[in-house]
Amino acid sequence: MEIIPQRMRYDSQRDPRFAQDLMGSSRCKTLTQCIQCGTCSGLCPLSAYMDLTPRRVINLARAGFKNDALSCNTIWLCASCYACAVECPKKVSITDIMYSLKRLAIREGLYPKGSPIPVLAREFSRMVRSRGRATESRLVLNLYLKTNLLKLLGMWRMGLKLITRGRFSFRAERIERVNELRTVLATATAEAGEGPVP
Amino acid sequence: MGLAKGSPRTGFYICHCGTNIADTVDVDAVRRHAEELPGVVVSCDYKYMCSDPGQELIIQDIKEHRLERVVVAACSPLLHEATFRGAVERGGLNPFLFHMVNIREQDAWVHEDRAQATRKARDLIRAAIRRVAYHRPLERMRVGVNPNTLIIGGGIAGINAALNLSMAGKRVYLVEREPTIGGHMAKYDKTFPTLDCAACILTPKMSAVRDSRNIVLWTYSEVEKIDGYIGNFRVQVRRKPRYVDEETCVGCMQCVDACIYKDARFPSEFELGLKKRKPVYMPFPQAVPPVVAIDPKTCLHFKTGKCKEPCKEACARDSIRFDQREVVEEIEVGQIIVATGFQTFDPARLPQYGYGEFPNVYTSLEIERLVNASGPTGGQVLLRNGQVPQSVGILHCVGSRDENTNRWCSTVCCMTALKLAHLVKEHTGATVYSFYIDMRCTGKGYEEFYDRMMREGVQFVRGRVGEVRDWEMAPEEEGKLVLRVEDTLAGFVRRIPVDLVILAVGMEPRADAEAVQRMLHISRSNDGFFLERHPKLAPVETTTDGVYLAGCCQGPKDIPSAVAQGSAAAAHVLAMISKGHIELEPNTVAVLDDCSGCKTCIPLCPYHALTLNEESKKAQVNLALCKGCGTCAAACPSGSITQNLFEDEQIDAEIEETLAHV
Repeated sequence: MEIIPQRMRYDSQRDPRFAQDLMGSSRCKTLTQCIQCGTCSGLCPLSAYMDLTPRRVINLARAGFKNDALSCNTIWLCASCYACAVECPKKVSITDIMYSLKRLAIREGLYPKGSPIPVLAREFSRMVRSRGRATESRLVLNLYLKTNLLKLLGMWRMGLKLITRGRFSFRAERIERVNELRTVLATATAEAGEGPVP
Repeated sequence: MGLAKGSPRTGFYICHCGTNIADTVDVDAVRRHAEELPGVVVSCDYKYMCSDPGQELIIQDIKEHRLERVVVAACSPLLHEATFRGAVERGGLNPFLFHMVNIREQDAWVHEDRAQATRKARDLIRAAIRRVAYHRPLERMRVGVNPNTLIIGGGIAGINAALNLSMAGKRVYLVEREPTIGGHMAKYDKTFPTLDCAACILTPKMSAVRDSRNIVLWTYSEVEKIDGYIGNFRVQVRRKPRYVDEETCVGCMQCVDACIYKDARFPSEFELGLKKRKPVYMPFPQAVPPVVAIDPKTCLHFKTGKCKEPCKEACARDSIRFDQREVVEEIEVGQIIVATGFQTFDPARLPQYGYGEFPNVYTSLEIERLVNASGPTGGQVLLRNGQVPQSVGILHCVGSRDENTNRWCSTVCCMTALKLAHLVKEHTGATVYSFYIDMRCTGKGYEEFYDRMMREGVQFVRGRVGEVRDWEMAPEEEGKLVLRVEDTLAGFVRRIPVDLVILAVGMEPRADAEAVQRMLHISRSNDGFFLERHPKLAPVETTTDGVYLAGCCQGPKDIPSAVAQGSAAAAHVLAMISKGHIELEPNTVAVLDDCSGCKTCIPLCPYHALTLNEESKKAQVNLALCKGCGTCAAACPSGSITQNLFEDEQIDAEIEETLAHV
């Protein structure tokens, strides 16, 4: 007989400091104000595809169920349209909370393996921090190298067209005095009360 | 420094206020410090000075130690000055030979350093003990109370207060802005949770107002100006012309039938624009007074001057008066009850719900009219195309509990929504969905009504609707309004197609609440509703003596609460009328003989208490009007105005002693 997995949660499965840690970031201060009305999910254009609705993510994060909150696909499907944050009756900064959860998920290695979205996020952020600008060609290459090489090869025809029409340059773009940008980013993350960028 | 004849025998008392004061101020050290001061014969501390045993201490000591002055260091005089003055008086001493020092709000609660807070308390009480020596016995002045009452607003709260007062034989001026009394309640079809017909229970009260000889009913009128003070207000009421003689019109409606406009074509205010009326109209069949009104904005006589005026011919009593003019009535009243009510939230402010965009999105108040037998559809709930809806969605909390619009819970919309769910189901047989965040059914019989709605098969979905749209994404959504909502108890998002959407709109302060506030010198809370004197213990009084609140102008409430508050306001009014007089605080000013008659003070007085005596050519004070603000005393260039309890030597002594040890 197959063992039926237990759905009940013990309190030891909770990280009671999780909400507090999250709220250490200035953009997550509104986490505790949620009344679980579901306006966010009702408005979210992508909630139809999420394994947990945005409302449930907020509730799990607040209650300290860190693993559930960080391993759902919700935070990676969020397209940052801010519709939820605009209409939230309690002005919970839902989109910003999603960003903080993404950072934590990457830091804790809890993001869905095989999903390209967290990889894209990390590669984009890395590239901007090192050169001050994203080079799309390299970003796409890095993304497929780290996720699905076969898919990249399958797209050779489009790649060729882009290259011949001058739309696809492999030259790495960079800004001058990139150090200054790094200082700006470091100051901003420190002031927001968040740890270093993963 | 020091008094010429030695210091008067003074009793000093310091309160611990539980731990409120004692935690931050070393009460014992202050008590010992006071003991050493000149004139102090009793110095004592007590856990709660305001308690009966605490007051008894003062009373006993006055007798035993022949005290001539009393100083209490405790909380704010706002809270307990009256208490301690009472104790001093019971002890046989003039209550104004007392002074209170605030060492709680102005010391213990605002400091953390115990040593410094204690030093501050010592400085303050030393100053008070010095000051009180210069106090003189004062007498309170008595003025009569005019037994007439003004009630502003003729909704259920105002009506009920008026009837209570008239039952006691007191004269009431009931002023209503609309052509009829009845307010919002007159628009409702049924009342929750008993499903009593609103009109059946309201109209007898409205008729009782009309029939009462003690109530002067002025509809279509507005209070314009209020002067004076408790017991003696002077009020101006502007009575707008309705172009019909109220004395002779009996509401036979002959004029309405005869109007040159054969069809009703102007939106009826009472029916929220869902029904049309003629320029001459009766707001609704049971209107009180049962008198028609003519709207000059739509009446041909006023617009073009070229009307044959068939209404005038049709009237057998010659009641149509096109020459009627606006009248300003002046009345004197002793007290005022404010019952100006609320307005419903305008859901056009929330574009995601499509009100005004989709014709079949209604407010809860509009649906009340649709289900009403005398309403625009004769009691049928119909879509704009005349069809009967098969499915209906009712949205709770529209314009309530929302930081983007109104933050508060409007308290009645859950029950209104449940009631409408029942009525719509009964009238149409449609599937009814109710979208709620939290179901708040906290009144008597309210939860039981919720139980009943569940038994009746209302589909409850716990979730606030994200948006109302008309895009179809599935065959069953064709031609419907689609509600996109998370069913939070199921944990997924649903698309629910309905024919009719009802927005249970919240209550908010009336748009002109600020103007009324200024006219009455009362306050409003953050939400914009009028502020009661105390949220728990004085929910009917305001910070202006003689002005009381009733009904939803003070905050959202259901009908029983509005009725209860109306009666409570009437009880306050009656208590004051029974007493027959009010006692005015003696902190008034006096003009000394060396007044030069420069008239500097006269325009400065906010209460118009100062005038120039034409004979003596000196300023004179009307003590009944003086509120003791001290403006004139401060402004007088020759120092010829003094104020009781704020005399120069009292204040000088206080300042000197406060700074003596710095």
